[in-house]
Amino acid sequence: MKPATRAAGSRQADQPLVEAARRRDVLICVGSGGVGKTTVAASIALRAAVDGKSALVCTIDPARRLANSLGLSQLGNAETRIAAEKLIAAGLPPGAPLFAMMLDIKQTWDEFIERHAPPNRREQILSSRFYRSLSTTLAGSQEYIAMEKLWQLRAHRDYGLIVLDTPPTAHALDFLDAPNRVLDFFDNEASRWLLAPALTAGKLGLQLFNWGGSYIAKTISKLTGTETLQELASFMLAISGMNESFRQRARQVRALLAAERTAFVLVVSPNLEGLDEVTHFHTLLQQNHMAVAAVVVNRVQLPPRPTDWSAAAALEPMLRDKVEATLRERHATAAQDEEAIAEIRSHCQPTPLIQVPRFSLDVHDLAGLWRTSRFLFGDDQRGHTEMD
Amino acid sequence: MVPLLDRRLLIVSGKGGVGKSSISAALALLSARAGNRTLVCEVNADARIGHLLGGPEVGAQISLLEERLWAVNVRPEEAMREYALMILKLESIYKAVFENRFVRYFLRFIPSLQELVMLGKILYHLEEKLPDGEPRFDKVIVDAPATGHVVPFLSVAKVIMDTVPAGRLSREASAMRAVLEDGKLTAAVLVSLPEEMPVNETIELGTALEQQVQISPQAVVLNAFTAERFTAADLEALRLKPSLLELAQGHALLAKLSADFREQLERELKLPVLTVSRLYQGRFGRASIEAIADQLGSMLEAR
Repeated sequence: MKPATRAAGSRQADQPLVEAARRRDVLICVGSGGVGKTTVAASIALRAAVDGKSALVCTIDPARRLANSLGLSQLGNAETRIAAEKLIAAGLPPGAPLFAMMLDIKQTWDEFIERHAPPNRREQILSSRFYRSLSTTLAGSQEYIAMEKLWQLRAHRDYGLIVLDTPPTAHALDFLDAPNRVLDFFDNEASRWLLAPALTAGKLGLQLFNWGGSYIAKTISKLTGTETLQELASFMLAISGMNESFRQRARQVRALLAAERTAFVLVVSPNLEGLDEVTHFHTLLQQNHMAVAAVVVNRVQLPPRPTDWSAAAALEPMLRDKVEATLRERHATAAQDEEAIAEIRSHCQPTPLIQVPRFSLDVHDLAGLWRTSRFLFGDDQRGHTEMD
Repeated sequence: MVPLLDRRLLIVSGKGGVGKSSISAALALLSARAGNRTLVCEVNADARIGHLLGGPEVGAQISLLEERLWAVNVRPEEAMREYALMILKLESIYKAVFENRFVRYFLRFIPSLQELVMLGKILYHLEEKLPDGEPRFDKVIVDAPATGHVVPFLSVAKVIMDTVPAGRLSREASAMRAVLEDGKLTAAVLVSLPEEMPVNETIELGTALEQQVQISPQAVVLNAFTAERFTAADLEALRLKPSLLELAQGHALLAKLSADFREQLERELKLPVLTVSRLYQGRFGRASIEAIADQLGSMLEAR
């Protein structure tokens, strides 16, 4: 750790994340599961705080590792300040406060309903099976609620920078399409069509089977049973008063994502299997006029140094064989990574690409986050500088 | 030797990104090679198994990949259609009702219905008979949804039985449940990686399957395993060569994590752990799957 290199000097002015952390106030880390999004998000926030901009990292990663790496025993749904002493002890005196929180998806949804639902219907909504399906399994619902929380934090707090670590997205579209999908759930012609008789009657808990007697309802109920249909109808009736406030919020969330001071950081692994996904994600962000600050290729394996081979050749035979086998594996991995990076680079033009090497130890403490941030912010470049 | 391949239905699950599809493909290859007519099912996923086995992408229609080996991507829309047609008998009724866009919207939000029709389709193929009365498939291998989704997927039959009044649907659910809970017929295989989160999720999943779905996992496949290579004496001998020492220490760390996580999985799940070595051969494809199948084959009793 070298605090001397901390100041964002002119050497770094052209570094994409230095620029982004300075100019933006929301950075959203996106990518598929297991690529190290959480580590990247935490490293960016740590760096911003050390450099003098107050920062919050908001994660959804249930791994205790992030909490531990920040020196906390655990993270909750509330924003927690990382004690300055802990940062100082790690040789990283903060220029501004650093906060972290772990988003609890279920709790955030519940709070959302509590804020927006008519008081007499809250309980009915919260206890419905359909609400559970909306808040847990409906594609895009986790992504949506994470963005909703982001909007809340932006509107009601004054962090210099919020770094949002998003849920591992199975399909890139889930993320950008989330507001629409959730809107669709709340406000759909279908519910009006199916519920028209009940809505006219205006009574909740009404036996809804004036429409239940229809041909279509009878046919569906052969599959689902009539009780399921009735329960769904009651649920829709209960949420039907929320449409307008929900629509308005979805528009605000959408606007925040495309705002001038918001940018995305696309975190990827250096492998070809995920290339289509990365390209698709990048294209979608651009099509939606959302700024991509950088593509971060995380955990890149560096090739062995040429001198490693000659040094290995001088070892006694048994040890030599083992070392050479390991060098060959490392070489093969590095070559694969190199190939993947070239592909990612060419598919994500003109977004700048940043490489973070694979460290021999997993990132598990402030020193590890700081080390990661040195690559993210361009103090160290791909190569052997850090390990020499 | 672990007797996995004597079950007719194998359900393969684990955290996203641990290599479920590769392990499912390798198990399917082994099963077919052992002479079984084998169907491998992906569940509403980006189809990968066809590519992994060196063939074209597999769609919603069952397709023959090679001798005795078929694959299908089970998706909710098609499964719903097949199921509805089975019940409604008439295509015209199906069209009138299910192709109504309001109805489509409606069905999407009914919890469990998608899972029910997909699981129903898989179990239908397990029971399906050829004209001569022989089963169409001897083995069905399911590349199941990832942890978090797999328990709702497999417990759908139970959920339906609990919530739907007696009738056609609950009879079907009851039959499905009997198949899943029959330990002689069905086994779950958990796939993991020697890393903290995947291992924790594997342990949670194993417990949840047993307690919530009454399906007993029979084995864990620990993928990308690194076997120990460098002894303490080796590391000592490299003391004065920092670059090689770092290389050897990196390897030793991976090996230690691999061994520790294997031990943890064995201890907490009380299951055999089959290790598959990390592969260093470029893009995943047919060759990788064959390499995995060879490793698994030496640990499994083929039937």
